[in-house]
Amino acid sequence: MFECCLSPQEQFIQDQLDGKENHLRNQSAHARAYRILDRISGLTPKVDVQRGRLFTESMRETEGQPLVLRWAKALMHVAKNIEVYIDEDQLLAGRAGAQGRYGILYPELDGDFLDVAIEQLSQREVSPFIVDPEDARIIVEEIAPYWKGKTYHEALAKALPEETLPLTYKPENVLESRYIVNETSSFRSSLQWVHDYEKVLKRGFGGIKKEAQEKLAALDPFSPNDNVQKKPFLEAIILVCDAIILWANRHAEEAARMALSETDPTRKSELEQIAQICRHVPEHPARNFREAMQSQWFTQMFSRLEQKTGTIISNGRMDQYLYPYYKADVEAGVLDEEQAIELFECMWVGMAQFIDLYLSPTGGAFNEGYAHWEAVTIGGQTPDGRDATNDLTYLLLRSKREFPLHYPDLAARIHARSPKRYLWEVAETIKQGSGFPKLINDEEVIPLHLSKGATFDEIYDYAVSGCAEIRMPNRDTYTSGCAYINYAAALEMALYGGRMLKYGDEVIGLPTAEPTRFATWDEFWEAYLAQQINLIKHAFVQQKIIIDLRSRHFATPLGSALHDLCMEHCTDLHQPKIEGGIDLGYFECIGYGTVVDSLATIKKLVFEEKKVGMSELLEALRTNFQGREDLRAMLRNCPSYGNNDPYADEIAKEIDRQSVEFTKKYAKEVGVHLDLRYVPFTSHVPFGKVVSATPNGRLAYTPLSDGSSASQGADVNGPTAILMSNFMSKNYDYRERAARLLNIKFTPGCVADDEGTEKLVSFIKTWCDLRLWHIQFNIINKETLLAAQKNPERYRNLIVRIAGYSAYFCDLSKDLQDDLIARTGHSQV
Amino acid sequence: MQTDRKTQGILFNVQKYSVHDGPGIRTILFLKGCSLRCRWCSNPESQRLEPELAFNRDKCLGEDHCQRCHSVCPNQALGVAQDGKMHWIADNCRQCHACAQVCPNKALIVYGYKATVEQALRWVEEDEAFYSRSGGGVTLSGGEPLVQSDFALALLRESKRRRIHTCIETCGMVPWHVIREAAQHLDHVLYDVKLADSEKHRAATGAGNEVILDNLRRLKREYPNLPITVRTPVIPGINDTPEDIRSIAQIVKDLGGTRYELLGYHRMGTPKYVYLGRSYGVTEQNLPEERLGQLRALARQVLTGAEETAQGVCAGA
Repeated sequence: MFECCLSPQEQFIQDQLDGKENHLRNQSAHARAYRILDRISGLTPKVDVQRGRLFTESMRETEGQPLVLRWAKALMHVAKNIEVYIDEDQLLAGRAGAQGRYGILYPELDGDFLDVAIEQLSQREVSPFIVDPEDARIIVEEIAPYWKGKTYHEALAKALPEETLPLTYKPENVLESRYIVNETSSFRSSLQWVHDYEKVLKRGFGGIKKEAQEKLAALDPFSPNDNVQKKPFLEAIILVCDAIILWANRHAEEAARMALSETDPTRKSELEQIAQICRHVPEHPARNFREAMQSQWFTQMFSRLEQKTGTIISNGRMDQYLYPYYKADVEAGVLDEEQAIELFECMWVGMAQFIDLYLSPTGGAFNEGYAHWEAVTIGGQTPDGRDATNDLTYLLLRSKREFPLHYPDLAARIHARSPKRYLWEVAETIKQGSGFPKLINDEEVIPLHLSKGATFDEIYDYAVSGCAEIRMPNRDTYTSGCAYINYAAALEMALYGGRMLKYGDEVIGLPTAEPTRFATWDEFWEAYLAQQINLIKHAFVQQKIIIDLRSRHFATPLGSALHDLCMEHCTDLHQPKIEGGIDLGYFECIGYGTVVDSLATIKKLVFEEKKVGMSELLEALRTNFQGREDLRAMLRNCPSYGNNDPYADEIAKEIDRQSVEFTKKYAKEVGVHLDLRYVPFTSHVPFGKVVSATPNGRLAYTPLSDGSSASQGADVNGPTAILMSNFMSKNYDYRERAARLLNIKFTPGCVADDEGTEKLVSFIKTWCDLRLWHIQFNIINKETLLAAQKNPERYRNLIVRIAGYSAYFCDLSKDLQDDLIARTGHSQV
Repeated sequence: MQTDRKTQGILFNVQKYSVHDGPGIRTILFLKGCSLRCRWCSNPESQRLEPELAFNRDKCLGEDHCQRCHSVCPNQALGVAQDGKMHWIADNCRQCHACAQVCPNKALIVYGYKATVEQALRWVEEDEAFYSRSGGGVTLSGGEPLVQSDFALALLRESKRRRIHTCIETCGMVPWHVIREAAQHLDHVLYDVKLADSEKHRAATGAGNEVILDNLRRLKREYPNLPITVRTPVIPGINDTPEDIRSIAQIVKDLGGTRYELLGYHRMGTPKYVYLGRSYGVTEQNLPEERLGQLRALARQVLTGAEETAQGVCAGA
């Protein structure tokens, strides 16, 4: 009865189409951010070569030296020479590249195909970039040649064993993924990460530098270890502290210079103030909220210059570490809510201008829509286990409701005692319809990590990181990108004796028997399982090599400067083993729902009811159901995951269990917790493109199910059933599990009015009771998505939640758009 | 107890995550059979007591793709239409449902299936985790759930034994003793009053409203602590005049301590008439949101306007 109902986001866009004025634009809290946003929105991003060029120049000069020191020298070279900008209207200073929307280059990652990629970049259909011809010349002639033969990616391709390589890359072209056992360590230097920003605010880089100098002075001058390992590390820390301080001071000079010629007195004084602040932070401790914001911003922007962190360094618990500054300023009467929001939104529009440029086609496919998500964590608990919500928590939620931008990615921690007001405002913000905030469950995360070795105070203080992951910024030490395993490929291999239709006669998996020979379900299941375990095995082999290799290619002096353990042991964060650290890795299950539904269908129709013969099924699959619509319909109406149906959920649980069993047995040989995760980014789309028709009625080469959500359209029993299926398919008796991503789509009518908010709150509380890791909502009408697909220019600002992050709908590929449309929307009928 | 659990009835749907029919997050058990024949009924498959065949033509794959149902009908009730899709001759159908068994795409389906109280409550309890947080539980709906009185009462008794919050959606057109028995096991009642005028009521639903109003007043009198929400689905051309709503609101006001809600009209039931081979009794006319808003304001005015002591409130659903 609420089919006509629009979400606030949809209403906002409709009003815009109708030419109605947006009253929020003129409010003092938002006016500045809107002005900046107007200037950048709709601009095609451009590639800025400065970082790549300067980094390369320095690396060329320092060959043979300790890597961490080389990295620090390169950063100093960047800090000295990169152009600095103070943007019109901005209160915060600091960019990693040119004005407007921009991406930067990390040739140490993908320099080997930089020249080829750069030519394709502007022709790319999804997420295109502009490259200036002179810049293109610099890339092709100056940057790319240096890196040929030196990049991590090339080294990895050479190091992979013969049997693992063809599951990873196309043997004839290692630049292309096979999307079977997909490595992700070569399109980013590090996994998603969170800095201990509080350390910067409290001590400043001057304080950290002093610590390093004292340590340096205290080294044993005769110790080979101290001389060879610790000394260069500490020198690198000192150098990188100097680099960021220098870079900040160059901003101060620029602001002062601009103030001199500024004629508008208001802006003149703003510029003078910016100059003052940039001289003080991040070198010294922040003295107020504004300085704290600037210090944080410099740190995160300089981090982007340091390395390509997967999905970018997250912002950590902003409502916690900023709160003392906010509170003091408000009490002193020098700051009010509107000014605090204005500063936050200056930061959000700064983030929005940075584009996470992926040159590798695999990286691009994993992160459609220029995706990066520097999660801002709110709520949760304090290190001593009390509720942590405060005024800033509510301010951050308000900003998200009133300034509809897809940055920052807002992540709300929920626990059993989360206050009603918090849950209510979280629900109201979700109802806005743009997918924020995503929710992370303390009741799952905390006990799980206690069992993995965290202490209470550390894990109570965790920050959300990336899609659905978490970090303890002074305890986590694992930074290698991990494997994404195509479970649907394992299924296909079980159907075709180790082959996949996409790859012809090549036996890629194990040569299991032709399935027509199997007399019982158990025999078929064993064949599937053998294929699944084989893929996991290769993922582990891959990871062992990756861990060993990466430390020779990457260093992160800035990240290490902010990490207690790195400073204590004088070890770079990218080193494989750091004493006292907890290494939390993962391996990814892609296509969970697709595989569960397919297996349930085979079990029921082929082996139990014998309504369909195995050869009949195979024939239909090979032809993508051509002329077999009747069979396809039957397959699609079988028990499926996401409906709280034990028939399917028990298979789901067994797939999960077999995976965690494997890691329980072998992870220690790799030396890290490689735990089972279900967080696909947008990779379920490219992974689907290599998998032919599946027995659940899915057509060939269409997207797989995403995360731990049900197959597209298969969840017909409503949203409670999806939660229950997730609950029933987890193995709570194992600790070898990591995040599970869960997408739920509601129509706005389903959550309309206060009554709808109340029910959404109850839904969230039950999700919390069930100890599910993550959940996120799209509150949107299918009609809106269809309209946006048809008239993208009219819906440029429509934001949708994809997989751990939100993006502009119109920046996505047609495949992914279709996938979003196909996900079941729940409405009360 | 044992007998309650084994009592059998006929359901036609189980709806999880219902958030608009009673407090909290609920599961609705839809019981088949109804004592009224409202012309606008949005659940026509609920009216008859027995399971019945329905045919959704859009889902039929057509003879080029599928001929599974062609030879199974023993009564010549299935033919092939010109476009190759199945043609159902409802008059010949003896409701054996053999065709629905073989249809791969659920174009042929059966509305209605038998279930025991035990089975039905097992479905309800699957969402137990949601009830304890939201204050929800089970809602019996239909049809008129009390038409299957033995089944409905057994469901309510057994639910209370299991501490499940109970609610019913009733049209009130059942013998008083059934309502009285149900009331002892109910936590909340959603009671439909469609029209105040009995003759108009007869024309629109097939029966006068005397029993309905009488039962409502007795219920309020004998169970004063049982929360009742009176609801009126506002149907264009049936009861959408200010007069109609004012009269019903007055009845609610006179009861005292009773909530009153107006429900918007939707035509989501229309396709189901086609599936069942029946025709729909109300014209294709929508109720504009503004009109519903005006009527809600009017009802609120009647309930709260005259005397301040009236506890009734009009909640916009």
